[in-house]
Amino acid sequence: MISAIGNTVAENRTALQEGKCGITSLSLLSSKYAGIMPFGEIKITTEELKKKLNATEPGVTRTSLLALHAFNEAINDSKLSSEEIISFDTALIGASTVGGMCLTDELYNDANKKDGGSEYLSSYDCASVNIYLQERYKMNGPVNTINTACSSSANAIMYGSRLIKSGRAKRAIVGGVDSLAKFTINGFNALHILSSDICTPFDEQRKGLNLGEGAAFLILEKEEDTIGKKIYAVVSGYCNSNDSFHPSSLSDEGDGPYLAMKGALDMANLRKDEISFINAHGTATENNDAVESTAMLRLFGKVPAFASTKSNIGHTLAAAGAIEAVYSILNLTHQEVYPSLHYNRPITKTGLVPVQTYQKMPLQHVMSNSFGFAGNCSSLIFSTI
Amino acid sequence: MLYIHQSTCISPQQTFLDVNIDVLHEPVENKLKVIEPTYEDIPPGILRRMAKAVRIGVGAALPIIKNFSHIDGFIIGTSNAGMEDCIKFLNQIIQYEEGVLTPSNFVQSTPNALAGQLGLLTKNKGYNITHVHRGLAFENAIVDAMMMLHDHPENNYLLSAVDETSAYNYNIDRLSGWYKKEVVTCEQFYQTNSTGSISGESAIAFLVSGEKVNATARLAAIHTLHTEEEMLIEKQLQYFLEKNLPAGEKIDLLISGENGDNRLLKYYTTVENILDDNITIARFKHMAGEYATASAFAVWLSCQILQTQYIPLHMLKKSIPQSNTKNILVYNNYKGSQHSFILITKEN
Repeated sequence: MISAIGNTVAENRTALQEGKCGITSLSLLSSKYAGIMPFGEIKITTEELKKKLNATEPGVTRTSLLALHAFNEAINDSKLSSEEIISFDTALIGASTVGGMCLTDELYNDANKKDGGSEYLSSYDCASVNIYLQERYKMNGPVNTINTACSSSANAIMYGSRLIKSGRAKRAIVGGVDSLAKFTINGFNALHILSSDICTPFDEQRKGLNLGEGAAFLILEKEEDTIGKKIYAVVSGYCNSNDSFHPSSLSDEGDGPYLAMKGALDMANLRKDEISFINAHGTATENNDAVESTAMLRLFGKVPAFASTKSNIGHTLAAAGAIEAVYSILNLTHQEVYPSLHYNRPITKTGLVPVQTYQKMPLQHVMSNSFGFAGNCSSLIFSTI
Repeated sequence: MLYIHQSTCISPQQTFLDVNIDVLHEPVENKLKVIEPTYEDIPPGILRRMAKAVRIGVGAALPIIKNFSHIDGFIIGTSNAGMEDCIKFLNQIIQYEEGVLTPSNFVQSTPNALAGQLGLLTKNKGYNITHVHRGLAFENAIVDAMMMLHDHPENNYLLSAVDETSAYNYNIDRLSGWYKKEVVTCEQFYQTNSTGSISGESAIAFLVSGEKVNATARLAAIHTLHTEEEMLIEKQLQYFLEKNLPAGEKIDLLISGENGDNRLLKYYTTVENILDDNITIARFKHMAGEYATASAFAVWLSCQILQTQYIPLHMLKKSIPQSNTKNILVYNNYKGSQHSFILITKEN
């Protein structure tokens, strides 16, 4: 994985333990909002990424490069052989909402131009990222791209799990990526949900989210195929539900979040009190944190320990579900939880207090939430082996 | 098992409600645009705010969702739904130099806006997903629906595919050389021996379930692959047919995604050569044009043909008189690198 607090899983863990915040002013992306708002920007230029990854193909975008960076780490860590990668039963399921639209100005020119055209003509759509990975690794198995806004990569993890369960794939490489773009910055800003300060998830005074960028990939296999291999955790439950309330906000009662969390619990066949920790969606918008709190109270009554890593890296959109899946797995592997940063006092209506210090904690089942525009809500449960 | 119970189609031809596919509607400057219905069931206030992809997507779904209240979820495939609003918002960003912008184009620009809108209109809190994998977006949606119905055969899903031709994505694909330079008619379409195709769009919805009773067709099997090698397509198709065709049965009809681009003809020829000589071959891109979810139009046509046992003359590339069309193979490829085989059969 790669995020604003580290280029590898290990670097991310150290940063989380130390309560490091990677949300800063923009230094690489040029935008009018560069000096006005902070972002979870990865401080490696696109050119440096190209060099580091030896990605010399024409038309490769920052989004694809971040994906490749995380993909490579996942492949290396799992020691997947090149035969396994190109095998017809290895699926690649990725998520992106920005795709090549990080090149806002190039896209503007190509969409409006009479002739010529840049090298990026086939790189703008969301699918371009996974097609790049597929071509680079010469993969032959099923490939898919999912876009359910901010819950995209949670759904990619679900879809990959289901491909394996149904016998359509032996293994699935699942994940998500998004890079910062003028497009999303201006979009979220027009909706008045970007904070000019560093975000404060679950705080009464929260002012909105900070956008971030990043990528994460995970490798899923059936339990019987993992003998002798390093296993981090089990995907034990998942559920996708629609809030069906509004195109860009959640209902007060939080039906979508409630049903997603409940469905995941039911699938994992767990009691409410068996969830040890919730990696909350916690974007720090007025709407999300209030609704997510309400839904957690509705479902759990006594809400388990919870926190939001959006306070470390910002909201990485389609990467968030996969990055936070890795964080949830780090929770389980090391039996530790990381602090939600910048929190001051509870939301009056719900009174919930997130974890604020790094601590060791016995953890068996971690729930991870991802809720997106168009009411797309998904929850995942990861369990110790 | 995935059974298709209802299907609706808004396309450049007369395919919606009062279907007549014998009369061809011609492309205008190499663009085939959908014939939009009047949308009497959508309140005008809501209709005005809908982006085109959402509008045609909702329009295609409405006849189904209006009369059927037990939908368990929405599974959508689209490559570029929201493209028009996406570029409109982009134009705002550039023209107003990131000034004060209105968010409506941004909210409508996300490809999952249609699935969200359908959930909203039907107050449906079930499964809701949008697959956007370019030329295999609809195919992945099919696989998703198949997996859902395998686990819950009693469920009903709305499986849908939507893509629009905006001036912008037309321009991007034109610059990439995917459209013909010379203006062509439906009749000339396959004889041009030049590069590129014509652009198209559609919104198609299927009501699918695992229950066989009263089904129009069965979507029996699907396979997708990313390659540019004909050899691999050949091998994979042979394996696909061996695995999925019941013993003693053959493909009666090939619906081919041939699109007038002479660079891609080799793939379609490869597929034709693998199949029995005694097979009818039909084409459809002169009706719908080329776009990422064109295979959904072929699946819709398959349902029509299985129901009526009639194929319009203009679709036929090769006709073998036969008593009954039972097994249809749809082969499509998008831009020469994304391929799919879909087997659709009649349930007697």
